[in-house]
Amino acid sequence: CRVSSDGKPPKFQPPPKPVIIDRKTQKEERRFLSPEFIPPRGRTDPLKYYIERKDMIQRRKVFNIPEFYVGSVLAVTTADPYASDKSKRFVGICIQRGGKGLGATFVLRNVIEDQGVEICYELYSPRIQAIEVLKLEKRLDENLMYLRDALPEYSTFDLNMKPVPRMDHEEIPVNKLQVRMKPKPWSKRWERPKYNIKGIKFELPEHKMKAAQKWSQPWLEFDMLREYDTSKIEAKIRKELSEELEK
Amino acid sequence: MMPIWTKSGEKRAVTLLKVQDCHVLRYVSKEESGGKTAKLLVGGKNVSPFSKPESAHEIFKEAGVPRKQKVTTFNVTDDAIIKPGTPLYAAHFRPGQFVDVTAKTIGKGFQGVMKRWGFKGQPASHGQTKTHRRPGAISTNQAAKVYRGKKMPGKMGNIYRTSFGLKVWRINTKHDIIYVNGSVPGHTNCLVKVRDSKLPTYKDCNKNPPFPTFFADGDEELPEDLFDEEIFQFTDPSVTFA
Repeated sequence: CRVSSDGKPPKFQPPPKPVIIDRKTQKEERRFLSPEFIPPRGRTDPLKYYIERKDMIQRRKVFNIPEFYVGSVLAVTTADPYASDKSKRFVGICIQRGGKGLGATFVLRNVIEDQGVEICYELYSPRIQAIEVLKLEKRLDENLMYLRDALPEYSTFDLNMKPVPRMDHEEIPVNKLQVRMKPKPWSKRWERPKYNIKGIKFELPEHKMKAAQKWSQPWLEFDMLREYDTSKIEAKIRKELSEELEK
Repeated sequence: MMPIWTKSGEKRAVTLLKVQDCHVLRYVSKEESGGKTAKLLVGGKNVSPFSKPESAHEIFKEAGVPRKQKVTTFNVTDDAIIKPGTPLYAAHFRPGQFVDVTAKTIGKGFQGVMKRWGFKGQPASHGQTKTHRRPGAISTNQAAKVYRGKKMPGKMGNIYRTSFGLKVWRINTKHDIIYVNGSVPGHTNCLVKVRDSKLPTYKDCNKNPPFPTFFADGDEELPEDLFDEEIFQFTDPSVTFA
């Protein structure tokens, strides 16, 4: 090794740290994980969720469940023993995604001949023959139940709508539409802060909006006992999913 | 609990029961027990041996098995006697069998008569003075006494109850899980006793069960999952009606 002119060994200089930019892992983090895979908070044995996930992956290998969010327009064909073609097609906007595990459901809403129709489908039911995403987009809220009290034009979608073309690498567009409502009374008091709705254009007088803020609970977002950090669980499930689906 | 679909597309709810470290502990013959049949003591779920005195460990030491949380008796015919110390697995049951499940119900504490026995109570208004959830009359004038067993408020729940005639839909041999139709008494992760059904309709239902039990070191190699014929398996394509 090199010796300096003093005769003592030279001062140790650590090698420069390599900077690795892993574009692949960054892309994977942004990938979509269906909300029914994330187990709810509780005292159940994680083995139960593992076994349910295995069944869900089995079904996904045979039948493609596309990525969709609340606010995207879907067309679902189900098998029906009483229809003439033995299958039924329904187009609608997804207003809610509920349930965890195999019992995951989503509700599609449409207005057919001036009558609002909502159908709740189970994602993993064997009766579903095809799910197509006609328009993939997000809205400002996770739950669009207020469309029941909105003007019907916001819930009508053409039954023979063509799928909107979309590039793979584009980010999912957020539709910042503010919906106009029918006159009160509504099925729920959507102006109250407990629903935290951003997608309605409230045309109520100022004093009514202020009165609704009486029911606000500003301490809720700081409540530590209600925190449920899913980042590590999600990472594990993502890894498991990617391994299983590649097999 | 989990949903399960049949081949015709109908949904059923199913409870998952895990067979965790079950061993046969002792054989009690007919004369010893004084009953009509021989009995087998079976223990489930390993637990630390330090919380009980040595005298309580005798049964477990004889069988050569760690201390179990629960010990139950099964009435058994003479040809189905098993040697103490053999482990019992979920593969003892087969899909298509019918099963009775016993467990301690969820304890609700001291409850009033409306929740405990389903009494109607009294109206909420129209002049009722301080009487909305009370039992009302407890006996007649002629009787001049209150009969034994009169339904009154008291501690509800935390007693053994059985659900009869539950169908076994699926068995997972790798994790020892039994999928049983419908709901089962008890809270999540509670100890449960599973027994062949004694209902007369299901007397002849068990076609060639593993008798006396399924031995893991035997020659049979079972697949990881055993399904009933009517279950829709997720490897099949979606259901269509012809």
